[in-house]
Amino acid sequence: MTKPLLDVEDLRVRFHLRTGTVEAVRGVSFQLGRERLGIVGESGSGKSQTGRAILGLTPPPGEVTAKRLAFDGIDLTTASKRTLRELRGGRISMVMQDPKYSLNPVMTIGEQIIEAYQAHAKASRSEARDKALAMLEAVKMRDPGRVFSLYPHEVSGGMGQRAMIAMMLVTDPDLLIADEPTSALDVTVSMEVLRILDELVTERGMGLIFISHDLKLVSSFCDRVLVMYAGRVVEELEAKNLREAQHPYTQGLMRCLPTLANDVRPLPTLNRDPSWAL
Amino acid sequence: MLDIQNLNVVYGTGRLRVDAVKNVSFHVESGAAYGLVGESGSGKSTVLRAICGLAPITGGRVRVDGQEVTTPRGKAFYRTVQMVFQDPYASLHPRHTVDRTLSEPLAIHGEKDAEARILQALREVGLGPSFRFRYPHQLSGGQRQRIAIARALILRPKVLLLDEPTSALDASVQAEILNLLDDLRRRLGLTYILVSHDLAVVAHLCERLLVMQHGEAVEETTADALRSGVASNPYTQALIQASRGFTRADKPSVQALAG
Repeated sequence: MTKPLLDVEDLRVRFHLRTGTVEAVRGVSFQLGRERLGIVGESGSGKSQTGRAILGLTPPPGEVTAKRLAFDGIDLTTASKRTLRELRGGRISMVMQDPKYSLNPVMTIGEQIIEAYQAHAKASRSEARDKALAMLEAVKMRDPGRVFSLYPHEVSGGMGQRAMIAMMLVTDPDLLIADEPTSALDVTVSMEVLRILDELVTERGMGLIFISHDLKLVSSFCDRVLVMYAGRVVEELEAKNLREAQHPYTQGLMRCLPTLANDVRPLPTLNRDPSWAL
Repeated sequence: MLDIQNLNVVYGTGRLRVDAVKNVSFHVESGAAYGLVGESGSGKSTVLRAICGLAPITGGRVRVDGQEVTTPRGKAFYRTVQMVFQDPYASLHPRHTVDRTLSEPLAIHGEKDAEARILQALREVGLGPSFRFRYPHQLSGGQRQRIAIARALILRPKVLLLDEPTSALDASVQAEILNLLDDLRRRLGLTYILVSHDLAVVAHLCERLLVMQHGEAVEETTADALRSGVASNPYTQALIQASRGFTRADKPSVQALAG
């Protein structure tokens, strides 16, 4: 690989609050090619804020700084708002956690996909419509024509999530950021959604950042995993080598999950060492 | 301890009729832990809610300690059966201190010696007396769930209904709560009914379990059978498969779920 798709160095996200400054992300660095990268951590570890900062979606009053934050050679920290608007949803897309809250409730699913497509491509309405239908088919909707004219409240969680994936991929992005895309779904439905995501990412050669709290899921789905704790990356490793994790936090996270395979009781709990957060 | 025969729960009538639970029967001995597993909409939580009176019993029979339950449930029922809810962020009153939350059931049931009971309840769930006058927002998620468990235990019930008690918690906190539940059952001789979508959690805490789908009981099995991967029903098999994580080549399991 010559040039990374995404190059992040010393990314920091700060929130200046009345009670003092909270640093949610404290110096995260990584490079991403056309691969599947997992970011794992518990709540408050800064994994979602990392994903949002890349897209420039840090909620106010958050402040983002980075030594380098470059997407395909474009410096995102100094880019104009116009450039960012073109990238966002066009070449970088984000799938959110819960389709119930992230789809527009008063627009049909088809309209929303068309809107996403026309925001980034010069296309006539009928072209956009064909593209939207093709995309719905690509995410394995049984009857794309029917789903096209449905409102978000008329579809199930799994269908809603697939519709969101369709909307995010209709512009053929180079990078997809998925923030807990399956946490709101049932385990069997989530497997189906992951399989679709996996196929599309592989076929189209996209880069994928998969943010999740589920270590087991991430290690079975991604190529590489970053483990975050208190706003820092404490360990980076190949997903298949997760069992050989070195950092005590990663090891602790692995061990404290009950598994079907072996019955350990009491379950080992995590003794948090204050030095991990330094 | 708990005997459920042909339980039916129906909401609405006519066109709006929803059969949330259809002919579900199971039996739990005293001191046992029984799991209800299924996906959202399978009716597993509704079974729990029907037992404790939060959902109507349309048909069938619910017996606790040999006695059929009455509607509305009496005070004696709630001395025997208590419930712990899924989300500790929603199930504790935000403007009540821990002390007030814990003293309310004692006041309702006319219990004396509230002070000592509250301190004991806090000790039982592994929290010190310093937590007594805190508000929920001053507690972490795991600490909140401990308070919810303390609230349920303070009347010394025999049966604890647990509705996804760890699904809102981080993995490391989940391990602490599961250990606590395991330990309390042994020490106090409690009977548990645990609802969860996570097979590993159910297999960890329960000996026997019922797999539910679309409001019906699909299969009754044991934790040991789950561990060895034995399941006669294709749906149970698919759940076991899915709980092992993502695999790139297992298309057949998807077919089993379509039904």
